[in-house]
Amino acid sequence: MLNWIESNIPVWVYITLIIPAVVLGMVAYMILLERKTASWVQDRIGPNRVGFSFGLPFLPQFHFWGLGQPMADGMKFLFKEDYRPRGVDRILFTLAPISMMIAVLVSIAVVPWGGVKSSTMTVDVRNQTAYGAKTAAARSALPAGATLDGQPDLSIDGSTATIAYHYPFQIADLNIGILFVLATLSLGVYGVVIGGWASNNKYSFLGGLRATANMISYEIPLALAVLCIVLTFGTLSLGDLVASQAHNWLGFIPAWNIFSQPLTFVMFLICIHAEANRSPFDLAECEQELVGGYHTEYSAMRFALFFLAEYAGMITTSAVCVALFFGGWDFPGLRGPDAAHPQITASLLVCVLRTAVFLVKTLVIIFVFMWVRWSLPRFRFDQLMMLAWRGLIPISLSLLAMTAVAIYIVGDHRDANLQVGGDLALLLLAGNVIVGGLSLLVSRLIPPAPDTNRRVTVANSRFNKPAVSASPAIASIH
Amino acid sequence: MRDSDVKVLQEPTLTLADQFYLPQVLKGLGTTMKHLLRVLGGTDRVIQYPEERRDDLPVDKGGMAFRTYRGVHRLNKDEEGRVRCVACFMCSTACPAHCIHIEAEESPWPDREKYPRKFDIDELRCIYCGMCEEACPVDAIELTHTYDIIGLTRAEMIFDKAKLLNIYDQTIKLEPM
Repeated sequence: MLNWIESNIPVWVYITLIIPAVVLGMVAYMILLERKTASWVQDRIGPNRVGFSFGLPFLPQFHFWGLGQPMADGMKFLFKEDYRPRGVDRILFTLAPISMMIAVLVSIAVVPWGGVKSSTMTVDVRNQTAYGAKTAAARSALPAGATLDGQPDLSIDGSTATIAYHYPFQIADLNIGILFVLATLSLGVYGVVIGGWASNNKYSFLGGLRATANMISYEIPLALAVLCIVLTFGTLSLGDLVASQAHNWLGFIPAWNIFSQPLTFVMFLICIHAEANRSPFDLAECEQELVGGYHTEYSAMRFALFFLAEYAGMITTSAVCVALFFGGWDFPGLRGPDAAHPQITASLLVCVLRTAVFLVKTLVIIFVFMWVRWSLPRFRFDQLMMLAWRGLIPISLSLLAMTAVAIYIVGDHRDANLQVGGDLALLLLAGNVIVGGLSLLVSRLIPPAPDTNRRVTVANSRFNKPAVSASPAIASIH
Repeated sequence: MRDSDVKVLQEPTLTLADQFYLPQVLKGLGTTMKHLLRVLGGTDRVIQYPEERRDDLPVDKGGMAFRTYRGVHRLNKDEEGRVRCVACFMCSTACPAHCIHIEAEESPWPDREKYPRKFDIDELRCIYCGMCEEACPVDAIELTHTYDIIGLTRAEMIFDKAKLLNIYDQTIKLEPM
């Protein structure tokens, strides 16, 4: 059946339709997982009542352990009153959640779910007479999005031509993939800022402002951490980055970057928490200070779009994290037969299994997001800035410098298929440990941060420090 | 207050682990993971309410302490089945939420001067503090252990004399005066 699907339905249809559908379904169930995680951490059970009966008597009246909850939530969002307060900017108010959702969904396009699928196709070229016309006809039969391998192979009697081609098992294999993700995810913050501005509400406005500052600060270490990986492999394409990790060091250690660059991974993980606007960096929507933050004035489906965009952003950032540090789809038995190009496989089943492995790895990172959210308190704004500018950026910079030095020492470090050897990996690991230790030492030596929590004196306030007073009687009171 | 009573607290100094965030963060994550695994292992603190009830559990397992629990009110009856209340207004005076409304009338019985013609308690205003019970000189008003009272409208939640006397009939077996 898989072969029938492949030969009868164009490639881009099932990749482009199925993956976003899977992602959106995942988003709905991530919200359930979030609520479940929250309850487990707090010694509760979580939603476990809503099944799939929807109150209809002829449907099964079983609770299904609460799995119907996302459907009920979605239905609630659809049918709630779509309230828009007076004084909001009508166009921007609607545009903000849409733009955020689009930006985040677009960024999923470059995630290399299943490596590269190779395939062959036999084309009937009986109608053409000349050799050139026959090959041209065979070439034009190439499915959309696929790349031809070699020349079309004519049969002896000249009636058919066989073409071999491959296509990436992802929506779009951009050669600037990782840049694309960084760019679109930064666009996502526009939704937050515009939503905060258009709401005509001081809390929303403050939330939007905070999101901007948050994003500017944390994109720098994020990009620096990504650069460490890009520098090692010399490519920006996520598909190539994953393929370059699909081999073993010493025959048994998977060549995943988490093993060679653990500190870089930690930097990256911290930054994607900020990038996805998640706790402990969720200052844009901190409930305790800003009511609801940038989406205070939003309700019904507009609010749901913000909500979904946040979770879809988590999927994207987690998927990129998996692609950069956990070998993407790499799993024993799923590498292609050609060791030089492990991403290429002729089996659609392997591609689907790779996608499943990728999703499971992504879910693990997503669970870390949720685990962190229900464990750590939110940073104060100045602490947030301090962590980025005094902590993450210097460490990421030194990691980048360390990576460059390690690559210089090893010399010709990449082979033709962008895979790096165990010697560089060991050097990078040692470098990570050294940078970590050095930052521990330096953190004790650098001068203390300015007293950001200082009291701003207000004229005539009774909390002011006693000035050099004119009257000794007042001075004695203090 | 003497100076010796004043306890001066110093801001705790950050250790190396605190300053580098990550070790302490991991410690915190470990704590939550411990709780998470405990719940997944079957030890949670949830009472599945309509099926399980606090009434059925021992107090040390999170059950209800009947001796001190204050639920919906009842109006007690005496041996002849008459309402015990003498309409002295002590309870409505004591009530901090002003939820008791009494209209007194001359008693048809020789042993008391007044009795309540109307006795309404707004169960939505009531804060279940038990002051009325304390104030009552004839033990006429009492708080029972019943907590699952429902009504579809606000008017339904204003319990009148008949309803309060009915609660007495329902609860007197389990909760003697």
